[in-house]
Amino acid sequence: MTATAVPRPAAGGLDDLRSRVAAVRPVLRNQARAVDASAAFPVAGLTALRESGLLGLLVPARYGGLGGDLTDLVRVAADLAADCLSTAMIWAMHGQQVAALVAYATPELRAELLPRVAAGEVYLASVTSERGKGGHLLTAEAALHRDGDLLRVERDAPIVTGGRHADGFLITMRDGPQAPRSAVSLVYADRTALDVRASGSWNPMGMRGTHSGALRLTGTVPLANLVGAPGGFRTVAVSTFAPVGHLAWSACWLGAARAAYGTVLHLLRSNAGRRQFDIRSDLLRVRLARVRLDLDTTAALLARCLRDVRDAGDLTAPAVQLRLNGLKVHAAERSFAVVDTLVELTGLRHGYLRDAPLALERVFRDLRSASLNYGNDRLLLANGALTLLDRGVDLGEERW
Amino acid sequence: MTDQGIDPAFEAVLRRRLRNLPAETPLDPTAPLTDLGLDSMEAVELVFDIEDELGVALPDDTLTGDTFATARSLGAVVDRVRSEPTSSPS
Ligand SMILES: Cc1cc2nc3c(=O)[nH]c(=O)nc-3n(C[C@H](O)[C@H](O)[C@H](O)COP(=O)(O)OP(=O)(O)OC[C@H]3O[C@@H](n4cnc5c(N)ncnc54)[C@H](O)[C@@H]3O)c2cc1C
Repeated sequence: MTATAVPRPAAGGLDDLRSRVAAVRPVLRNQARAVDASAAFPVAGLTALRESGLLGLLVPARYGGLGGDLTDLVRVAADLAADCLSTAMIWAMHGQQVAALVAYATPELRAELLPRVAAGEVYLASVTSERGKGGHLLTAEAALHRDGDLLRVERDAPIVTGGRHADGFLITMRDGPQAPRSAVSLVYADRTALDVRASGSWNPMGMRGTHSGALRLTGTVPLANLVGAPGGFRTVAVSTFAPVGHLAWSACWLGAARAAYGTVLHLLRSNAGRRQFDIRSDLLRVRLARVRLDLDTTAALLARCLRDVRDAGDLTAPAVQLRLNGLKVHAAERSFAVVDTLVELTGLRHGYLRDAPLALERVFRDLRSASLNYGNDRLLLANGALTLLDRGVDLGEERW
Repeated sequence: MTDQGIDPAFEAVLRRRLRNLPAETPLDPTAPLTDLGLDSMEAVELVFDIEDELGVALPDDTLTGDTFATARSLGAVVDRVRSEPTSSPS
């Protein structure tokens, strides 16, 4: 993603951010293969991210953070994903949690937690999925129990990225034992306040470094750890959690696909590649063009959604929701399609063998998760309904 | 390319992509290559011809309109890249 005329945050600045990212990327690059092979959490990568200050990218400067914005978030996510998609998603999901805290945490929680996030002491994990309801973001089964100024949390979490290594968790819960499933509250729990029991194994097709195994979380947190109003997670989700998630995940997937494309172009243009591939082949050229088009359209939609989130007063407007959901679906589908085509184009030796230097095989497996990581079907169903409310087919042309 | 003129091997490669330049007409090193028939698609093919036949891999940042303006400008870039310490493009 090239620099556009987006106002830069006062703290840090683009060069500062570049050097922080540059310090982390070699660690990710060196670790990516081993992390995938062993399905182990990228401890060295997270340590480098902690030391880089990037865990505090979205933390405002008054809390010691870098004061970055969403443009910074997607740029960094895409860059990290070029080296290790698992680590990039770990970082991107952390950023999604930080965005929710910055916008909705109580003043007490912000003052206590955000400086620790900025210092790299607190890596945040996300708990929204739940057995029974599956991925559905806006319902919850397990209920909070109030006890004076305290909230009791007991939560089965079937899939928590980095859960065994996280220092804190943002958890969706039903607001109380009598509350309907749609009354969802978001609550922050420090690891020190929880009994964290890991169960089961983590042996997935891809995204193996995310180490997203199951946890059971039990503990008590102060009432001030509610993030947003009681039962008010829908507001947090629509205004911050979902948009930031879709932007950050899409940037990760796009960044991984772009990097894969770049390595293939370098191979084709190398001496060895020139001997092996016929770069005058029409078939090869049409494939390269299609792949590039997928990258460009995804990047364009990503840039458009960034503008929507920054400028559109009302993110609940159907046209804006359609684009934000559409971005996640499109990025997931097209990033995977890009790498699928690259495997076809480069063939077995470069594209399919596990030890091939291009690592297309790993990125292919990783990107297969993208449609499931908040189900595309769920979003398409939502979008299908929303389209019926926008008979004017608002494509946002007033801001073209 | 030297001050005297255009390297014959380079000229042979270039000429094949200049549709509007009859074989018997001398190549004017300062004539716009677009006038001689080099369009943007032919320019891409020319890059690969230069790689294959002259063994010179032009870096992406040299692939500009200025480079492809004339036989002289392109020849100068080819000469410069050729004289740089070779780094394998892989
Ligand atoms: C790499 C990775 C990391 C993850 N990390 C986390 C994490 O840190 N925290 C977390 O909470 N979750 C995490 N998740 C879970 C993720 O957000 C989804 O909740 C989860 O993948 C959904 O699982 P599912 O496909 O079984 O369930 P569902 O989304 O419930 O879907 C199950 C099936 O039903 C279909 N379906 C869904 N909705 C409908 C509908 N309305 N009508 C008809 N059919 C429908 C789907 O297409 C699918 O076939 C992660 C997932 C991945 C892949």
